[in-house]
Amino acid sequence: MSTSAFETFLARIYVDSNARARFKADPVAEASHAGLSPDECAAIMKIDWAGLELAARSFAKKRHAKVRSLRPSLRARVQGFFYSMLGFLR
Amino acid sequence: MNSTKDRVGLGLRPDLAASIFEHLDYIDLLEVIADDFFDSTRRERRALNTLSSQIPVALHGVGLGLASCETVQTKLLDKMARLFDEVRPEFWSEHLAFVRAGGLEIGHLAAPPRTSQNVEAAAENLCRASSMVGSKPLMENIATLVDPPGSAFSEPAWVSAILEAADCNSLLDLHNVHANALNHGYDAMEFLKQIPSSRVRAIHIAGGKLITAPDGTTRLLDDHLHDVPDPVFDLLEEIAACSPYPLTVILERDGAYPPMPQLLAQIQRARLSLERGRARHTATQKRLS
Repeated sequence: MSTSAFETFLARIYVDSNARARFKADPVAEASHAGLSPDECAAIMKIDWAGLELAARSFAKKRHAKVRSLRPSLRARVQGFFYSMLGFLR
Repeated sequence: MNSTKDRVGLGLRPDLAASIFEHLDYIDLLEVIADDFFDSTRRERRALNTLSSQIPVALHGVGLGLASCETVQTKLLDKMARLFDEVRPEFWSEHLAFVRAGGLEIGHLAAPPRTSQNVEAAAENLCRASSMVGSKPLMENIATLVDPPGSAFSEPAWVSAILEAADCNSLLDLHNVHANALNHGYDAMEFLKQIPSSRVRAIHIAGGKLITAPDGTTRLLDDHLHDVPDPVFDLLEEIAACSPYPLTVILERDGAYPPMPQLLAQIQRARLSLERGRARHTATQKRLS
């Protein structure tokens, strides 16, 4: 187990709320459709559903934070900091 | 790792930078997020090089996804290798996590199913990373809100197996141990006994907060936005009592920044925990000799 297909399935239910909803509604169908083996399907049925939801929320927050951090204003702030730091050190 | 003594440092964050540079005498080392500099300008790199000539620096990667069945991306390894060459840090580190699969970017560190196939794949990725960067990374255990399904290994057994297979050392995140122990029902002190203390070279300490899950249960979120809780200092003392090598401890704080004296107090408390652990280590050695 722990094939690429299994990791891909986990990644999908972490990042895609529609896939997660389909998985919750019909776990066997969604897992089989993703090409998981019978063993992998049996394993994924035992997932901690509450933990899955919390993890998905946490990952979404991180992705949004990452997008925000790429905005020019913050980048400029980071650059500014380093230049001021250089002055301080010298 | 060049140091022959225990050290305590801090994660460099832009919002903390000015305060950090006013208090460099109290900080032994700075940890820099490597990925933030992968696409940086030459001037930014020069600033980082200047920094590393003033104070020991460690590079910390967050985006390679080395504990994955997928092969680590060459372009990312190449960026890490180039940054490593330029900055010449004391060491670099990454996470025992997967961050992407099948073309999907998770956006953060996710725990893969802990299986023998994953151990093999992670070891291959680590060999590749070590070869391209020219230095073996310290590998960090992660916090996970969901216990990865399909796992055949306990977390400490899986961590140990990868370190052994790749012959790598560990960056042990004690708040991650504390959070996973609370969230998944095991004893954090027992976790420490199950990993090879001789491979631990660096430590992360941080804080988090309790959150309520949809089923009404409480979980500990490792958000790095709060002070280091008491149990993490207890774990630090414990690992210092067991570890035969000097340890580099790094305080991670990613937001909700308190005044600098509050962070320095946590750094000082970490030093005291290390000292207590080392005193126990010495006493044990004396008893055995």
